[in-house]
Amino acid sequence: MTVTSRLEQVAERVETRRAMLSRLLDPDETTLGALLLAPAAVLLGGVIVYPVCKLLYTSFLDLSLTSGAPARFVGLANFQQMLEDPVFWQATWNTILITLITVPGALVVGLGLALLANLPFNIRWPVRLSLLIPWALPLSFAGLIFAWFFHSEYGVVNDVLNRVGLPGAIWFNSPRLAFAAICLTITWKASSFMAMIILAGLQTIPRSLYEAADVDGAGRVRQFFEITLPLLKPTIVVALIFRTIAALQTFDIPYMMTGGGPGTSTATLAMYIHQNTVSFLDLGYGSALAVVMFILSMCVTAVYLRMISGREGAR
Amino acid sequence: MKFARLASLLWCGAVLASSPAFAETQLKVYLSSQGQPAVWRKALDQFEAHNPGIKVTIELGGATSDLQAQYLNTVMSAKDSSLDVLILDVIRPAQFAAAGWLSPFAGRDLQSYLRPYAEANTVDGKVVALPAFADAMFLYYRKDLLDKYGLPPPKTWDELAIAAKKVTEGEHSQDLQGLSFQGKAIEGAVCTFLLPYWSQGKTVVEGGKLTFDRDAATKSLALWKSFAEAGVAKKNISEVATDDTRKEFQAGNVVFAVNWGYAWALSQGDGSAVVGKVGVARLPAVAGGEQSSCLGGWEWGVSAYSKHQEEAKKLAEYLSSPEVSKFMAINGSLLPTYAALYTDSEVNKAAPWFADAVPVVRTARARPVTPRYNEVSEVIRTTVNAVLAGVTTPADGAAQIENRLKRILR
Repeated sequence: MTVTSRLEQVAERVETRRAMLSRLLDPDETTLGALLLAPAAVLLGGVIVYPVCKLLYTSFLDLSLTSGAPARFVGLANFQQMLEDPVFWQATWNTILITLITVPGALVVGLGLALLANLPFNIRWPVRLSLLIPWALPLSFAGLIFAWFFHSEYGVVNDVLNRVGLPGAIWFNSPRLAFAAICLTITWKASSFMAMIILAGLQTIPRSLYEAADVDGAGRVRQFFEITLPLLKPTIVVALIFRTIAALQTFDIPYMMTGGGPGTSTATLAMYIHQNTVSFLDLGYGSALAVVMFILSMCVTAVYLRMISGREGAR
Repeated sequence: MKFARLASLLWCGAVLASSPAFAETQLKVYLSSQGQPAVWRKALDQFEAHNPGIKVTIELGGATSDLQAQYLNTVMSAKDSSLDVLILDVIRPAQFAAAGWLSPFAGRDLQSYLRPYAEANTVDGKVVALPAFADAMFLYYRKDLLDKYGLPPPKTWDELAIAAKKVTEGEHSQDLQGLSFQGKAIEGAVCTFLLPYWSQGKTVVEGGKLTFDRDAATKSLALWKSFAEAGVAKKNISEVATDDTRKEFQAGNVVFAVNWGYAWALSQGDGSAVVGKVGVARLPAVAGGEQSSCLGGWEWGVSAYSKHQEEAKKLAEYLSSPEVSKFMAINGSLLPTYAALYTDSEVNKAAPWFADAVPVVRTARARPVTPRYNEVSEVIRTTVNAVLAGVTTPADGAAQIENRLKRILR
């Protein structure tokens, strides 16, 4: 072997390595795209896709840690059990009802609060702070606080009722009153969240529009419906998506206030899932219930997403 | 070079730390926050003094039996090794053993303990936990008020209702309730249901089979409902948990209370309005039935995931010993798990009524023993709560319990 041929060989090797390296350092569009997406894909796969698939798989198993028996594939048996389970139906119905009552409730109250906070005050921070506090309060604290408010003997609600000459109620002794108390608490808690998002939206509306409307002689009410509401719509839709999904997952407030009582009349789907998995260790049935909740959330999100994309298409 | 030196130093440190001369085993005991941890701490200090090289710390869990079970369920199903010795409500060993969470005490003989506890801690012939303290439900009554109206402690629930009416009407006090019991959907409500049910001679589960008697269940639910309707118990009894009963009795607002042994020491302690005015008796029976009580008490289990099995078992043995049982009886008014201690002079000085409590504990009945107890409990307690709140009738409630128990225990 001559020296030159060996040199050629080495040069060739160096060349291939450099080509590999340059492909890595300066990849074409497709490779670059894949490389850049990889971290997000791995993360999503790890924290969303894998758990959801595992949940789906578990929902087809008879897997109860209290039995000591190994997991057994049972097909749709868990879902069939659900159909015959009165507590499941009650919990699902309660969840839907809570969503239907508290989401519009919080929207109306939140909108009102946001409009108030947006008024030209001199000192705005106390108003903004009081808007922030209910939202910053942990859910379970809010539940505990309101449980005391509505307590039949020591509660402030009955005290106020008595002072104005009305009889107090045993709130948590009646399914309807207990449900009403829960909805009121959730609305109070969620309104501040709504108000904050809407307030941010309100501040993006240029003052000049209102000034022009003033010049044209449009009244306050007309201004609200013609300027404020249409320009707030995208903000409101986003707030509604967040709020609705959170409402479908309602757990903390009824858990702390009534524990689902009296009986099981104020239990929600999330509470029932928690009970089956954490208290009863029936992971199969609990997973099946969670699958139902997942589907419910997906449906609602799909509807909202359609609303958004529909609007964008019309533009 | 630097790295190598650092690594070798670390390695030396690890060897030294794990060698017997320097070893200090850390044990963690799980206790209830409401279960007098300060008194247990004193017992643990004694253990540390006798066992140099073992340090014991306490981890406090939820206030109620249900909350503790929920917490332990998550810890144990994650195979967490951080807890070594666990205090367990008497209803849990069966479930924990079935899940494989307890490390059995091979060859341990439980004959020296009261029989109900020997039974509760033996699952499929294996000793899975050791008794911590005994308990049962008792009837607490206001001795001063009963004496004032010339009434003896009632033997039946009907007598109790009449006596309660007589006292509350005589006292003309808005705040005075006739009877306080547990109507909230908590573990205590299971015993609420079972007391008059058992009193009729019925059982719920026998030999793993459901032996539910719907008529007896209807009667039991109707009895409690009638107390609320007749004004013997307060209207919001469906909101009352075990410790509410204790507090209201202690404040002097209750004539009769159904409660566990722990209420005694507190009713005779600082801040109690009824010091020296309290009597403790067996719970009444339904007319023509037998007086029965609900078996309570707590057990010491050793976690199967503990990394210090030997030391943890040693600690559990110590905590379950006659010395600690006596110490806790005197200092925490916890009923002993050894029959002889009930008549011990020092124990009787602290809690005179213990002398009469042994037959109650001996004959107290255990709640259904099944690995799926949590589900059985949930069915019963939510139904009791629903009936007391007027959501369902006693007859419908009994039917619901039967249907749902059938599905759980099939």
